[in-house]
Amino acid sequence: MFQLLFKYPGTVFTKGRFVFLSARPAWLLLVLILVAAGVLALLIRARLRDAAPRLHSRRAVAVWGMQSALVALILFLLWQPVILISELSSQQNIIAVVVDDSRSMAIADDNGKTREAAALAALEGSLLAGLRKRFQVRIYRLGSRLTPVTSTQAIAPMEPATHIGDGLKQLAADTADLPVGAILLLSDGSENTTGMSDSGIAPDALEALRNRRLPVHAVGFGKTEPSHDVELEDVSVAASTAASARLAATVSLMQHGYTGEKAKLSVRDGDKTLAEREITLAPDGRIQSELLYVPVGGAGAKSLTFAVDALSGEENLNNNAMTRPIVVSDAKRRILYIEGEPRWEYKFIRRAEDDDPTVQIVSMLRTSENKIYRQGISDPSELAEGFPVRAEDLFGYSGIIIGSVAADYFTPLQQELLREYVDRRGGGILFLGGRESLSDGGWAASSLNDLLPTFLPAGNQNFHRNSATVELTSEGVDSPITRLLDDPEKNAARWKKLTYLADYEDPGAPKPGATVLADMIVGHRKLPLLITQNYGRGRSAIMATGGTWRWQMSEALGDPSHDLFWQQLLRWLVAESPGPVTASMPARILMDRGQINLTAQVRDRQFEPTADAQVAAHIVGPEGVNALIDLTPSPDTPGQFQAEWTAEKPGPYLAEVTAESTGDKPQELGSDVLTFEREDGVAENFHIGQNRRLLEQLASATGGQYWKPSDLKNLPRDISYSEAGISVRTTKELWDMPIVFLLLLGLPVAEWLLRRKWGVL
Amino acid sequence: MKLRKIALVTIGVVCGAGLLAFQRTADFGFGNDDSPTNVKSEFYWSRLAYTSSMESFGGFGGRGRRGWSSWSRDYPKADRQFLIAMHRLTRIDGRPTEQVVTLDSDEIFNYPWIYAVQVQNWTFTDAEAKRLREYLLKGGFLMVDDFHGTEDWEHFMEGMRQVLPDRPVEDLQSGDEIFHTLYDIDDKMQIPGEQYVWTGRTYEKDGYQPKWRAIRDDKGRIIVAICHNMHLGDAWEWADDPNYPETFASMAFRVGLDYIIYGMTH
Repeated sequence: MFQLLFKYPGTVFTKGRFVFLSARPAWLLLVLILVAAGVLALLIRARLRDAAPRLHSRRAVAVWGMQSALVALILFLLWQPVILISELSSQQNIIAVVVDDSRSMAIADDNGKTREAAALAALEGSLLAGLRKRFQVRIYRLGSRLTPVTSTQAIAPMEPATHIGDGLKQLAADTADLPVGAILLLSDGSENTTGMSDSGIAPDALEALRNRRLPVHAVGFGKTEPSHDVELEDVSVAASTAASARLAATVSLMQHGYTGEKAKLSVRDGDKTLAEREITLAPDGRIQSELLYVPVGGAGAKSLTFAVDALSGEENLNNNAMTRPIVVSDAKRRILYIEGEPRWEYKFIRRAEDDDPTVQIVSMLRTSENKIYRQGISDPSELAEGFPVRAEDLFGYSGIIIGSVAADYFTPLQQELLREYVDRRGGGILFLGGRESLSDGGWAASSLNDLLPTFLPAGNQNFHRNSATVELTSEGVDSPITRLLDDPEKNAARWKKLTYLADYEDPGAPKPGATVLADMIVGHRKLPLLITQNYGRGRSAIMATGGTWRWQMSEALGDPSHDLFWQQLLRWLVAESPGPVTASMPARILMDRGQINLTAQVRDRQFEPTADAQVAAHIVGPEGVNALIDLTPSPDTPGQFQAEWTAEKPGPYLAEVTAESTGDKPQELGSDVLTFEREDGVAENFHIGQNRRLLEQLASATGGQYWKPSDLKNLPRDISYSEAGISVRTTKELWDMPIVFLLLLGLPVAEWLLRRKWGVL
Repeated sequence: MKLRKIALVTIGVVCGAGLLAFQRTADFGFGNDDSPTNVKSEFYWSRLAYTSSMESFGGFGGRGRRGWSSWSRDYPKADRQFLIAMHRLTRIDGRPTEQVVTLDSDEIFNYPWIYAVQVQNWTFTDAEAKRLREYLLKGGFLMVDDFHGTEDWEHFMEGMRQVLPDRPVEDLQSGDEIFHTLYDIDDKMQIPGEQYVWTGRTYEKDGYQPKWRAIRDDKGRIIVAICHNMHLGDAWEWADDPNYPETFASMAFRVGLDYIIYGMTH
């Protein structure tokens, strides 16, 4: 129909360029149209009075519109409008037919036929024949790489992965000296290269296609949504954690056909189930996120498998599980705790940490005016001179707790060190309530006021030895710091039932950006109890009491609330504090390819980035892989070292990155461990529905078109409008389009008929 | 004869009520009572008022607690003298008056450090023993003092075995942390009671040698500090007596302060 009215197929209008052949300027056309419309308006208005009431204003506007449109159309034709479009020369160009032969193409969701069979049937039906009438045709199969084939017989859906971007990039490179006019891609769009949760094509592949002006015409096969399936979309979990920690993992999943049904979500380490719970599945096609707390156990490199148990009638069971490699470290993080007076909170915090294998408290307690009692020190010289005055002494701790200590106990230099400790070093600092804490200790007037997560109240009478009960805020219900029970509702109820605090201090109002995790209820007042915030590269917190020890003494023997809370709070305090060496890589799961970019940030003992270091990575992997690679300094970022390496074999890998100072006597600056895993053929099991969005984006970005398999009749014709290969630019005149003649006749006739009807002839 | 009995009982009841009021066992300092008499502090010197067997006190018979009893030996002067020293020599925010605690309610869990004397006389019901056991295992600290000789030890251990049946008692060495928290006490002597002033003897009964002993928890932390064959309470009480040697009093204060700092840090 479109072509009947407009003479040319729609592709000509969408891909071609509209121009006027007339030498007269285009603006003149616009001016003349406006002038004509204005003159007509004046004429009609002048005669409107005579014609009233038969021609009221609305009818006059209609008449004016039709007359103006007719004049505009005639003027438009006088300017000789045409479409300029590039068209492939007949039989001089090659069409590259690329057929996806990955395993997902073997799914039989196309009326009982596999996607591959449907694609081959389309090709062998009339598509290839139609193309061959106009072009030469080359056929390729595409899996993890692109391979030319002589006939469609050589194509079978066996490849473990689909790298569409890489394959097209390879095609552009391999045919650089050939007149390829267009690419015809037959695929389900299941791209594995960029990660399972990312549906884009790599920018370098698009760049290669655009440089050749190669349009990709994509034909999509397969259903876009399965009818019965549960699929894990992603698992978000920290790359490393401390031994015996409860690791928070967010599992994202999507289902079709099981809305409201129950399913079991579990986490395994090998054969051992670490955590499991029942979930209720969300409506079809909606991503739901489930939080799991996983007791990771002892130290070591582990590969955790997150899985949803199979439901009856599921179409694809291979997308129900995902693995994530993590490093469980038993390295002790040291926290410096300075306390200004002997008090019970000090004792019971220390006792709570006695049971935590990953955190060690090094404490200095002012027992008398001139005596300091030290505990947890590594050697007699540690803290022997009091609170550190040098960055290299203070920055070695991963966290700092300041108890009932007045601000003026610290010299201006020490206060500045504390600020830098959080801001630049990235450490965590926790202030406790007490007689000489916060506002009562003069901290509001100190240079560290900026560091605190609250606006401290005025005065110095804000600490009270009166009872206060506690309750969680909405943020606290979801926080791993305050999670005493996994179930959020039960956890909130548990906090409300905790025995009262022995004392409290008003910490003031939280600053913008701070998070209040728990409140205290004092009579009819509600005050923030636990407030956290990020500051610079680190974080700060206030626990506005010195009386949580009652949770230990007054709850039942064996109740874990007190110890668990303090362990979780102090782990939060130190968890993000970087060490001198921080190793990282963009992705820990390598899908069907082994190339990694390893980066290490190295800092000296003052935590300044240092380039004077020798950095190496020792990598061990499956089947005896054992490699030692050197990292080279980055020219752009001080203290950053990098290296590229390829994991050739699928399986888990462990990399230990070590930095040593340069010079005659090299000293180890620090080390970091990370783990990653190469998985071959796993990504192909996910996102098994047709990724139509990706195919449409690819076609749109390259000047091609997305096609349905049922609508390929015009493809051999439309594919010829391409600027790639050997093409000629043709001029498509528009004056003789049937629609023009219809309008030229239709507009005056319609006006006459209407005027006749209205009696204003 | 009958009237005499009634009079004695009446006198006993009145005296007992007076003593009971004096001993302030009801107000433990917690809660929201901001009255001037309720001085709230971090540390309360807590003296354990235990149930004692009266046989050893001249045949009163039966079980006694709140009336005059062995738990209140040197009370309250020893406690208050010690608190004066603690206030002057440490940064502990302590109440200047003592606190009497019992094992018949959970209020004892508000006081993580307790002191008991004449512990050869203590006896526990099962509920009291359970409460004291839980108190110690949760993190409470008990210091016992003023019992002497073999027989007292056996009686003390009868109660202790009821509380902590399987925990061994060990002799503390000079290098133990409990003697080095505030003061380094390497050379200790037997600290006698006031009787030293007129007898010249540092020992009582057959307790010739001072026994610095302790019971620990699973992590090796001392939860019961035992001062056997000595009488630190008397040394605190009579520290202002010119006839009582200053050496003993000073040592007793240092030991007491070390024990408190240990109890507040371990």
